[in-house]
Amino acid sequence: MFNKEERVGNLREVETIIGPSVKVKGEFNGNGNIIVEGMFEGSLKTTNSLYIGDKASVTANMEAKEVTIGGVVIGNIKVQGHLEITSTAKISGDIESASLSIAKGAFLNGKCVMTKQAEGSQKIIK
Amino acid sequence: MHVYIYDSFLNQKKYNSLLSKIEIRITDLGLNGKIARLGLMKNIHQTIENEVKRGAKTIVVVGNDHIVNEAINIMAGKRIPLGVIPVDEGPNLISKNLGVGSIEKACDTLSARRIEKLDVIAINNYCLLSEASITTDGTVVEIDQNYSIEANVAGEIRIINMALKKEGLPECASFNPQDGVFELLIETKQKNKGFLLKLKNGQSIFPLKHLNLSNLKNYPIVVGGIKELPLPAEVRIIERGVSMIVGKDRMF
Repeated sequence: MFNKEERVGNLREVETIIGPSVKVKGEFNGNGNIIVEGMFEGSLKTTNSLYIGDKASVTANMEAKEVTIGGVVIGNIKVQGHLEITSTAKISGDIESASLSIAKGAFLNGKCVMTKQAEGSQKIIK
Repeated sequence: MHVYIYDSFLNQKKYNSLLSKIEIRITDLGLNGKIARLGLMKNIHQTIENEVKRGAKTIVVVGNDHIVNEAINIMAGKRIPLGVIPVDEGPNLISKNLGVGSIEKACDTLSARRIEKLDVIAINNYCLLSEASITTDGTVVEIDQNYSIEANVAGEIRIINMALKKEGLPECASFNPQDGVFELLIETKQKNKGFLLKLKNGQSIFPLKHLNLSNLKNYPIVVGGIKELPLPAEVRIIERGVSMIVGKDRMF
């Protein structure tokens, strides 16, 4: 298993970091990799990767290419590629992804839909 | 024609020999021109505007970051390039970042005339090249009416176009004055629970082109550590807003 630093390190060229003690409210659309360690409310979209840290609290519908979740999420999550749910994650909402891994201890309350990987790749190319 | 603008502190006698040295060097390089000395009766704004009207081809400010900041504010949007000769009284971080760390280097840089168009940050009508900061206390940041950012603990909000000091800044951000964005950096300090109270830093970073800034407690935003600008303010990037003469050792 990867530790937290390795996972964050995998997000090369991070564009946006929402740090601890910072609260963002509204509609956030990004193109780069995003790390959330604080609070977010609204909707969150990026064409790249999204990392939700274990101390983060997110109340939002989210869309991204790859997602790793370690914190509290209330909302639906749509992922074109891989969704990684770590042991500290607490998710209340539906998830949709092409591939999925859930660590022991994670909490997931919602529907889970698996999409084909090819579909996800085509969407990215478009 | 080159116009050299000397900051008012250079009117002190102790700088006479240093200024003579600069004048000899620029004459040797064939860059001699008009000299304007700032003082009680002559401010930088009037001086630059008048010299530009009279057909100055290059404005060169002689002094520290204070005069460079003021000159950039006036020169933003003008096609005429701005050069810097740093004199060691007060900080000279802007000239260092531009690759003109010393007087000799600065004169050689003026001679080489390597001109780069750099982005500037406009805070309402005030333009700056480097950065501005404000406390997180009571400050609300709104981005294009789409989302807002608030910090829940004490700290500092910095709006950075060209970072003067790289220490402690997140490595993921470029802080490049030619990338068409500025970085909004929020640095917070949190007390950890325990018998030893330690301060822990948290950093948030957003690359942006535009934001609106307000403060519920009427704290101002501070530019260059000295100048205070009132809020609310609209902050935006002006791409390629100022032409600067830079050295080959520039840090961007």
